[in-house]
Amino acid sequence: MAAPLELSCWGGGWGLPSVHSESLVVMAYAKFCGAPLKVNVIDNTWRGSRGDVPILTTEDNMVSQPAKILNFLRKQKYNADYELSAKQGADTLAYIALLEEKLLPAVLHTFWVESDNYFTVTKPWFASQIPFPLSLILPGRMSKGALNRILLTRGQPPLYHLREVEAQIYRDAKECLNLLSNRLGTSQFFFGDTPSTLDAYVFGFLAPLYKVRFPKVQLQEHLKQLSNLCRFCDDILSSYFRLSLGEGTCYLGCASLREWGLVLK
Amino acid sequence: MSLVAEAFVSQIAAAEPWPENATLYQQLKGEQILLSDNAASLAVQAFLQMCNLPIKVVCRANAEYMSPSGKVPFIHVGNQVVSELGPIVQFVKAKGHSLSDGLGEVQKAEMKAYMELVNNMLLTAELYLQWCDEATVGEITHARYGSPYPWPLNHILAYQKQWEVKRKMKAIGWGKKTLDQVLEDVDQCCQALSQRLGTQPYFFNKQPTELDALVFGHLYTILTTQLTNDELSEKIPLPDTW
Repeated sequence: MAAPLELSCWGGGWGLPSVHSESLVVMAYAKFCGAPLKVNVIDNTWRGSRGDVPILTTEDNMVSQPAKILNFLRKQKYNADYELSAKQGADTLAYIALLEEKLLPAVLHTFWVESDNYFTVTKPWFASQIPFPLSLILPGRMSKGALNRILLTRGQPPLYHLREVEAQIYRDAKECLNLLSNRLGTSQFFFGDTPSTLDAYVFGFLAPLYKVRFPKVQLQEHLKQLSNLCRFCDDILSSYFRLSLGEGTCYLGCASLREWGLVLK
Repeated sequence: MSLVAEAFVSQIAAAEPWPENATLYQQLKGEQILLSDNAASLAVQAFLQMCNLPIKVVCRANAEYMSPSGKVPFIHVGNQVVSELGPIVQFVKAKGHSLSDGLGEVQKAEMKAYMELVNNMLLTAELYLQWCDEATVGEITHARYGSPYPWPLNHILAYQKQWEVKRKMKAIGWGKKTLDQVLEDVDQCCQALSQRLGTQPYFFNKQPTELDALVFGHLYTILTTQLTNDELSEKIPLPDTW
């Protein structure tokens, strides 16, 4: 039997196994390729690091960042892209680049920078997942990181004003969503009938945007109008994540019991 | 540019035909321009050539500061100034010339995706090599970037730019990458482009598009620029279709 693979990542809510895009990408890929992954949700204890989540731990390795984790899984023979042609593999890389350049800034903005959303939804949720003094610091740091990333990649030097960039990034994100919708069409997955890396990435980026309830929802509204993308997310959730949503709650229950030493690890 | 300004520019652009005296500004070719800027400039020149639009290239030491977005190249057409390939393509489209009109929706999506791939991987790798690899920075970049300016301005400007680029690399997660990892990414990108191109003359059908212009700009510059190590140019599979 292969060495146990443990993934530590942010937990779920609003019907999702994880609210954090990168964690969701890895979880989806693991489901698609059948990798036996033990998911350790970040909880209120002081165990484990929270910095570079998601992190994959094996007996002798620690791998962070979704792209590297997926590469590692492929090397362990868990490959969801087995049936893709070389051209489809190339298209995957290109579409992932499109997601990261055009969609990610707006997703980051919706979650971490838009003050209504951040203070009423994102910050309380993340703060509730981590122990006390850290819960005051870490969400703020993540928010600054997100703002930084948006400004440095899209802002104009030397002043880097957010206002100028906001309209542009939302417009790019809407265009990206339209492009994805056109590409998906009426198929079940992006390449044929089996899901692949690109499906994992698109699911990881879209599902939190689709499901989390925000006060300021312009991008979410746009996504809801693209019914094939919504259907895509719902299909993956119901086919691949329905059973483990039960496991997820079980883990959360176990985590608190563990604190009281009632359950051996 | 803000959305309103862009809409305004598009309207004005549509009103006048392409003039004869359009100019493209970039940094000084021999001594100042860097790898990434040269690639961008060549991509725009190739695109305009493909559209059969006349353009005159003018080299100025302060081109970067003249540009409305801080990036080169930029074009000066009539009384408008537009910088970077993306907005220039839109601008040219407003004037009635487009290379990608004949593509279907899915193909347009693919074209945009591949353009982002080139920007995401090739351009970032070029910036990394120029500004974060100590050997290249010391021998080539610092000297070239500040060459038109007197001391101490040349050093100050070079350090400032290096600091800016390093900040950006850190924000997108490339700060901790080693040179080998960056070259691996370039390799992956080139493989993907090579797969997509296959044996066709251009990426889409028999007509060149802005994607072809962009890829040409980057590949040609990488293959013909002398750097401290040649590993970047070795990653490009030998061109049999270029």
